[in-house]
Amino acid sequence: MIALEHVGARAGEFHLRDVSVTVPAGAWGIVLGAAGSGKTTLLETIAGVQHATTGRVLLRGADVTALPPEHRRLGIVYQHGYLFPHLTVAENVGYGTSNADRVREISARLGADQLVGRPVASLSGGERQIVALARALAPQPDILLLDEPFAALDPRRRVRIRTELRRLQRERGMTVLHVTHDFAEAGTLGDLAIVLEEGRLLQVAPPATLFHKPVSGAVADFLGADNVYAGRVESPPASVETEGRPLHFHGDGIELVGMGEHPGGAGHAVIRGEDVVLSSQRPGPTSARNVLEGTIREVVVHGAQARVTVQVGSTMLVAVVTLAAVDELGLADGGVVVASIKAAAVHLC
Amino acid sequence: MRPRLSHRVATAGVAGGATLLLALLVLPVGALLLRGGVDGLLQLVADVELQQSLALTALVATMATLVTVLLGTPLAYLLARERLPMGALVSALVELPLLIPHPVAGIALLLAFGRASPAGGALAAAGLAIVGSPLGIGLAMLFVAAPLYVSAARESIARVDRRYEDVARTLGDSPWRAVRRVTLPLAGRGLLAAAVVMWARAVSEFGAIVILTYNPKVASVLSYDRFTAFGLDAALPVAAVLVLLALVPLLLLRALRGNRLRPQ
Repeated sequence: MIALEHVGARAGEFHLRDVSVTVPAGAWGIVLGAAGSGKTTLLETIAGVQHATTGRVLLRGADVTALPPEHRRLGIVYQHGYLFPHLTVAENVGYGTSNADRVREISARLGADQLVGRPVASLSGGERQIVALARALAPQPDILLLDEPFAALDPRRRVRIRTELRRLQRERGMTVLHVTHDFAEAGTLGDLAIVLEEGRLLQVAPPATLFHKPVSGAVADFLGADNVYAGRVESPPASVETEGRPLHFHGDGIELVGMGEHPGGAGHAVIRGEDVVLSSQRPGPTSARNVLEGTIREVVVHGAQARVTVQVGSTMLVAVVTLAAVDELGLADGGVVVASIKAAAVHLC
Repeated sequence: MRPRLSHRVATAGVAGGATLLLALLVLPVGALLLRGGVDGLLQLVADVELQQSLALTALVATMATLVTVLLGTPLAYLLARERLPMGALVSALVELPLLIPHPVAGIALLLAFGRASPAGGALAAAGLAIVGSPLGIGLAMLFVAAPLYVSAARESIARVDRRYEDVARTLGDSPWRAVRRVTLPLAGRGLLAAAVVMWARAVSEFGAIVILTYNPKVASVLSYDRFTAFGLDAALPVAAVLVLLALVPLLLLRALRGNRLRPQ
C-alpha cells in the first residue's frame, strides 16, 4: 500500500502541494498529468530521493517519511533507464541483489537475458528500459514506481513487456504507481488513476470513471474529452438531492440537460464523442434529453471510425461514429444532421 | 564584393591574432629548450643536486596531491551536490588562493604556521617543523594547487547525474556505498585529470615555497638559486629540464581527455 497524507515536496523551483492519495496494496495506480505537473517529483518523494517538506508518506501502512530510500524496499524505473554505464548489463540487473537465480529469472521473463553480453552503451532506448525494469524487479520489491517505463519500446515489445509486468504484479501482489502519458495504457493497466496539474492533485478515480466523469473541465481537457463546454449549471432547489437528477446547463452557445453531483453555478459539461448519436432527421418521441440540430463542418476518418464535427448554433459538437454510419447517413461537409445525447452522457462538473 | 573583403579581413585578423599569441607562448619555451635542452638532459645524468631536487619536488607534490584527493574529494562532492550550507561562500573560500599572489600566499602561510604562530608552535613542539622543511614545501604546494583540484573535481562530479545515485539508493545502497559504486567510477577520469592538473601546478610552484622553505630546494627554487648565484648559463639546463618534465602531465592530461567517458 502507498499512502500520501498532505504531502508537499520541492524540486528546484517546482512545488508539489498537499497531495493526499492512497493506492491499495496490490493495486496498479496510474499517474496522469501534463509535463511539469509533478509526476516524477511525486514518485521521487515516495521513493525518498526527494524529501517531503510537509505531510507523511506511508508504505505498507508504516510511516516512512524520515526513512532513506535504501530502507523503503521499493523499485523505481525512470524513463531514461539510468543504467550504470560503467557496468555490464548483467551487473546492472544484479546491482540490487546477490541472488543469481532472481537475476536469471527476471532477465529471462523480460527478455533482458538476450542483452547480457552487450555493453550498456550499445543498447537502444527500449532495451535500456527493459534492463532498467529487470534491475528494479530483481530484488523483488513489493512496491514498484514507474516513470514512463515503456515510452521507448516499440509497439510489439511494449505489449509483451506490459503483459509480463502485469502478470508479475499479480503473482507478487506488487503495488505499482505508474506515470504515463498513454491513456490507453492507463485504461488497460490501471486500477486507479491520479491526475496532477501544477503540483496539485485534481482527481483520483478508477480510469473508467475518470474518462467518463472528469471532476473538472481542466481534467476533461487534459484527458482529451471530445466536447468540453464552460458555462453555468442551473442551481437545484436547496431541498432537492442533486445526485441522480437531471440538471440544466447553458454556456458556450449550447443548452444541455445533464447529470452530475453539481451544486449549481459555474461549471463544465463534458460529452464523449462516442455518446453522441447522429441521425439524418429528427427522431420521434425519444428518451434522449438532448436533441440538437446542426450542420456538418468536418468529417475526419480515424481508422474504422470517423470524427464528425457538427455546428450547433454557435458552437461545435464532435460525434465519433463508425464508417458504416458515415456511408449510410451520407455524412459529409455541409449536411444537416440531428444529434441526440442522453442526459446521463452529459457529465456536469 | 564588400562582404567578401570584410570576410577576408576578419579571417586575416583572427589568424594573425592567433599566430601572435601562439608565438608569445611558444617563443620563450622554444628559446629555453634550444639554449639549454641538451645540456639539461646531460646535466640530469651527472648533477646530483638537480636529481635530488627533482625527486624532492615530485615526491612532495605527489604527497600534497594525495592528501588533497583524500580531503578534497568529499568537499568537491558536497559542493557538486549542493549539500553544503552557504556552498557559494565555501566555493569562493576554496578558490581564493588561486587569486592571491604566490609570495603573499607564502607570507600568509608563514604567519599561520611559522614558529611564532600558535599552530606552528604546536606543530614544532610535536617535532613537525613547517618552515625550512619538506612539510612546509608540501603545505605551500597544497595551498596554491588544491583549489584547482577541488574545482575540477566538483565539475567532474556534477556531470554525473544525481539520479544514478538515486537509483542505487533505491536498490539498497547507503549514500556512501552509492557514491563509491556509482559516482566515483563515473567521475573517475575527471578526478584523475584534476589530480594531474594539481600535481603539475604543485611541481611548478615557486613564490610560496621560496618564502616558507628555501632549503631543501625544490626544482623551481634550484633554478632561481643558480640564476642568482651563477648566472643565466648555470640556470638554463635546470630550467630546460623543468620544461621537458612539464610535458609529462600535459601528455597524460591529453590522453585522459581523449578517452573521456561519453555521456550515456
